[in-house]
Amino acid sequence: MRKVLATVLACVMMVSLVACGESAPAASTDNGSTAPAASTENTQVAADEKVDLEMWCIATESDSNRHSYEAAIADVTAAHPEVNFTWEAIENQAYKTKIKAAVAADEMPDIFFTWSCAFLGDFVEAGRVYCLDEAYEGFKSELPESMMGNSTYDGKHYGVPLTMNIVGLFANMEILKSVGYDAVPGTYEEFIACCDKLLENGIIPFGCAGKETWCVTEYLESVIEKSCGAQTLGDIFLGKATWNNADVAGAVDTFQSLVTNGYFDPDGIALTNDEVKANFMAGKYAFYMNGTWNCADFAGNDEFKDKVAVSEFPVINADKATLGQLIGGPSDTLAVAASSPNAALAAQFTFELGRQICHYGYLDGCGLPAWTPYGDTSTVNALTQTVAEICANANAYVLFGDTAMNADAANTYLSYVDQVYGCAIDGAGFVEGLTNDIG
Amino acid sequence: MKKKVTNGLNVFAFLLPALLLFVGVLIAPIILSGYYSFFDWNGFGAKTFIGISNYKELFTSNAIGFLKALRNSLLLAFLSVFIQLPMSLGLALILGRNIKGERGFLSVYFMPVLISTVVIGQLWLKIYNPSYGILNVTLTKLGLESLTRTWLGTKETALWACFVPTLWQYVGYHMLLLYAGVKSVSPELREAAKIDGATNGQINRYIVIPGIKPIIRVSVIFAITGSLKSFDLIYVLTNGGPLHATEVPSTLMINMLFLRNRYGMGSTIAVMLIILCFAFALLINKIFKEDK
Amino acid sequence: MAEKTSASSFSLDSGKYEIQKTSKVGQVLVYIGLAIWTFVNLFPIYWMFTFSLKDNKEIFGENVAGLPKHWLWSNYTRALNTGHMLVYFKNSIIVAVATILITLIAALMATYAITRLTWKGSKAMNGFFMLGLTIPIHASIVPIYVQLSKMHMLNSYWALIVPYAAFSLAMAILICTGFMGDIPKDLDEAARIDGCGIWGIFFKIIVPLMRPALATIGIYTFLQCWNELMFANIFNSKDELKTLPVGIQALSGQYTTDWGPIGAALVVATFPTLLVYVFLSKKIQESFIAGAVKG
Repeated sequence: MRKVLATVLACVMMVSLVACGESAPAASTDNGSTAPAASTENTQVAADEKVDLEMWCIATESDSNRHSYEAAIADVTAAHPEVNFTWEAIENQAYKTKIKAAVAADEMPDIFFTWSCAFLGDFVEAGRVYCLDEAYEGFKSELPESMMGNSTYDGKHYGVPLTMNIVGLFANMEILKSVGYDAVPGTYEEFIACCDKLLENGIIPFGCAGKETWCVTEYLESVIEKSCGAQTLGDIFLGKATWNNADVAGAVDTFQSLVTNGYFDPDGIALTNDEVKANFMAGKYAFYMNGTWNCADFAGNDEFKDKVAVSEFPVINADKATLGQLIGGPSDTLAVAASSPNAALAAQFTFELGRQICHYGYLDGCGLPAWTPYGDTSTVNALTQTVAEICANANAYVLFGDTAMNADAANTYLSYVDQVYGCAIDGAGFVEGLTNDIG
Repeated sequence: MKKKVTNGLNVFAFLLPALLLFVGVLIAPIILSGYYSFFDWNGFGAKTFIGISNYKELFTSNAIGFLKALRNSLLLAFLSVFIQLPMSLGLALILGRNIKGERGFLSVYFMPVLISTVVIGQLWLKIYNPSYGILNVTLTKLGLESLTRTWLGTKETALWACFVPTLWQYVGYHMLLLYAGVKSVSPELREAAKIDGATNGQINRYIVIPGIKPIIRVSVIFAITGSLKSFDLIYVLTNGGPLHATEVPSTLMINMLFLRNRYGMGSTIAVMLIILCFAFALLINKIFKEDK
Repeated sequence: MAEKTSASSFSLDSGKYEIQKTSKVGQVLVYIGLAIWTFVNLFPIYWMFTFSLKDNKEIFGENVAGLPKHWLWSNYTRALNTGHMLVYFKNSIIVAVATILITLIAALMATYAITRLTWKGSKAMNGFFMLGLTIPIHASIVPIYVQLSKMHMLNSYWALIVPYAAFSLAMAILICTGFMGDIPKDLDEAARIDGCGIWGIFFKIIVPLMRPALATIGIYTFLQCWNELMFANIFNSKDELKTLPVGIQALSGQYTTDWGPIGAALVVATFPTLLVYVFLSKKIQESFIAGAVKG
């Protein structure tokens, strides 16, 4: 397992197409799996005067990351008796509103959860985020430089990555078996044939939450990447190329044909992701494309864990795309507010916290580790291990579009994705609209 | 003369708490919103003055779709005035003529007014649920399967599906307002008309409704400005989706402010909302005045 | 409110005979209509109550609309314990009560100044306050947010109470004006002759006589702040300060697929108010009506 991961990390380093700021400095490839002790050296603050540190995150009680946060916080607060640590978890959508409002008012907590790339980038640009370069020195051996790329701006580090995730094609193997498939078809033609077969048998192939557009992008971005290639999509997301691209238009049409062919659950458009996920686990759909953070929930459900398999979306146009081109990368990040009165301590604390969250999150199957894993990882669930193997064979990552783009562009993009999913526009309209509105 | 001086100070003292609240929390922020609306500002970075570009973009950009949001809220206002208010008025007129069980009906119809909008939204979300909601389940049981649909997920039905809970919640509100008016029509006048041989319909038409015109005017203003301001219910039910079919200016504003980091544009929408609300209030007052 | 001006424009063209006839059939139709609307009003509330006591199996198929087969009170324990519904309820009450108090004081004082004291511009001042009736609360969210944060008032009850009170003020002044108009001005005169100052008149005569207005203003203000979601969602993020609307939104995010606890939370948020209403319905309606008539 550890070997696989070492390869994963090495691969990410070589091929990550999305590095947000100016290109990250060359990575040190030293990823020997030295296991750090859970407790770490105390910082210079005297133990008798307590320092308040506050953190906001999105690990609400229903979030699959909740346990890893709780365990990590227990570890790190034990190692820092001088810190009076408080934290608060806010529901994902509400959190986006709240953190932006807090940044606007310069009322941020010391430590805050953020998505990497553009989301954090806006805050960095406004000068509200504390630079972590100094604190990072102490953790370089455990946290490869390449994993910092998405939160590096102008060569400076501003975020501590936690886990990394990709988009996975989850399949309910029990349903596939019932229509005569033992494995998820490897080529696109076979895959479509399988969907048709499912439809004939009255089974809906895909579940997708139309109420949350990012769920649609999990499908759409995979289709575009596997039609046009990772390079093309990555360049567009980062603004290095325009949306005005006939291949992309074609790929969007391909995606739309999946919708018009009835492969998607028509009810899905009014459902939230949690509802769709529950439907998938209840056997309502054969496939569910979503982030690999779901592995934890799937593997943790005794009834469901033996039915589910994860794989990579098949290649649609072999001239431009190959297997191993994935959507995803390190996105979940912790950052420190520049306004924090104890920013240096908070930075140290955040690195330790990030390492532990990553550790427990990986053990729980919430994602692949951005940090070099330590300890016994044999208990990691089979699904996550499969994902690790997929990543080991990866040759390119394109970060989720709505994370890679700035807030305004991302929402414009999402709005067009919505229209494609709702069949209000076709591929040409999608490309034209985005070219006009974003570039 | 002396009296006037004390008066001036006292007047000010009496007005002070209200003025502080009103100017500090309403007027000043609105002026600030107006100011922000001329800037390109992401809420935390530097502000760039861009004149009326935000307003221009608001009315021309398809990506923002303000006109569509406006149309949606006007449609809601239209439905409120021409479906909700007539229903309320009908109920008020019926209940206002001392029928049996008047009090009981009144109490039941007013009940939804006291329920929090979020609760109502969550409840109707469950009612509309495509697979398990009571609406589709009932239709299926009645053999009307062809009528079942994803009410909140279909462009054609979503706005109507958002209107129904509003109707459900506010019919009682307007009914009680109008009922109060109906009750205040003097019973002697009614009796006199009855003795003269007027039907109930005629009494309503020629005596009651003209008599409660001022209340109807208030109801119309509330219904229209309420629709223009509508947020909570739509936020809970659809958050503007699907495909902006239920987008209203308020949801758009929140989207601009907190999802797209466009505080300037969000403030522009806020200003437009205020202008619209005022314009409609004035218009309605005018219509009612001319009617007289 | 209803003046007798309209009585003249009234024509007769149908005989008594017809009244009798239509009223019999009409009566039945009217009652059927009323009964249907009663059902429409009550059924969702009933349904909410029943599904708050069921598990998903019952809700999703076996027993959609009937009374629960097994009364699953554990849904309520979940809503109250993990959902913190009681805390939210308490917060909503605190915010509502404080808002009502502040609104009352400010509105009474302002109305007194506007209607009973003679000064230039009292009319204009009244018009100024009436602007508040049409201003949407959402329009001021950004500046208020920035201001509150500068004053370090975010995440406190005040962050909601102050804006709510400000936005309830216009309606409250409108209602107050109606009620205060009913108090004869002779009383002020008499008190002044007895040596009462302006403040004396206000506290000794006006305030006690305004008691009926308090309930009315209370109800209108209550309806406004009990429902508000946008400010509450953005200004207060701490769990221990959340109000019911925000709490319910958060809870439904947590239990999207588990309807029972959501139902329980909805019931907890609703039934106390409805219970009060059942006992005081007449009083509440009368006060509400008073607002309409005086306004």
